[in-house]
Amino acid sequence: MKYAQDIAAATQEIFSSMVMLDVTPEEPFKRVDSTLSKSISGIIGLAGTIKGMLAIHLPHEAALAVTTAFLGMDVEEIDEDVCDAVGELANMLGGNMKAIFDPNGGDVQLSMPSTVHGEEYAVDCLADAELVTVPFSFNGQTFMVELQISESN
Amino acid sequence: MGKTVLIVDDSNTMRKIVSRSLRQAGIDFDEILEAGDGQEALDVLAANSVDVVLSDINMPNMTGLEFLKAKSEDDAIKDIPVIMISTETGADIIDEAKSYGAKGAIKKPFTPDLINETLGPLL
Repeated sequence: MKYAQDIAAATQEIFSSMVMLDVTPEEPFKRVDSTLSKSISGIIGLAGTIKGMLAIHLPHEAALAVTTAFLGMDVEEIDEDVCDAVGELANMLGGNMKAIFDPNGGDVQLSMPSTVHGEEYAVDCLADAELVTVPFSFNGQTFMVELQISESN
Repeated sequence: MGKTVLIVDDSNTMRKIVSRSLRQAGIDFDEILEAGDGQEALDVLAANSVDVVLSDINMPNMTGLEFLKAKSEDDAIKDIPVIMISTETGADIIDEAKSYGAKGAIKKPFTPDLINETLGPLL
């Protein structure tokens, strides 16, 4: 699937160098059901010649484990630190993918990262967007990185 | 007299990570000051003696580029060196940052070694 390898490489680099966790990419897929349960999502918007969004979706337990590793301190509930950490992960993923979409700069703009979390919610973007979702695993936990984009010349 | 660094980033997480990376890089500052956006950074620089600034670019209220421009127009602080630390290090953005006096750029994600290589020569 287009961009799946780029997402896998960017995510592995960010997690190994900044979070100090080794994450393993699994088989990419197209997520049909946009509903997420007991999760937190970090989302960054893309505008310009590539429009859409990039998101990282972590179940609550995975988000706590990632934030604990990221900050180097125990985190036990979905709080401001977790939201900030997940938003920053989305920000770094967006920056890495922007460098692939727009190597010379000027054609693609990134939004500020945002986060959403809860018992059940949906994250959806453009109706005609190309969609690729890459699942990852680490220490018995899983999370997903998802790209929904529409490309124009 | 000890050295002071100012870390500018709207993400509290990233400010902590940059502080940790400075320690891991073996760069020992006596004081680490923080600001959440460009305007806060200008306020900190006006009130403190700072040796070097590490600043994000993409921030609310006042961006890193707006901060650099305002700083370059203030004779009291314009010579304090600034390194940009950002997810966005495209040539267009870095050229603009350098036109306002930025001394270099570090792309997120980064390693302590990269921080050391970029920051070391300025200290």
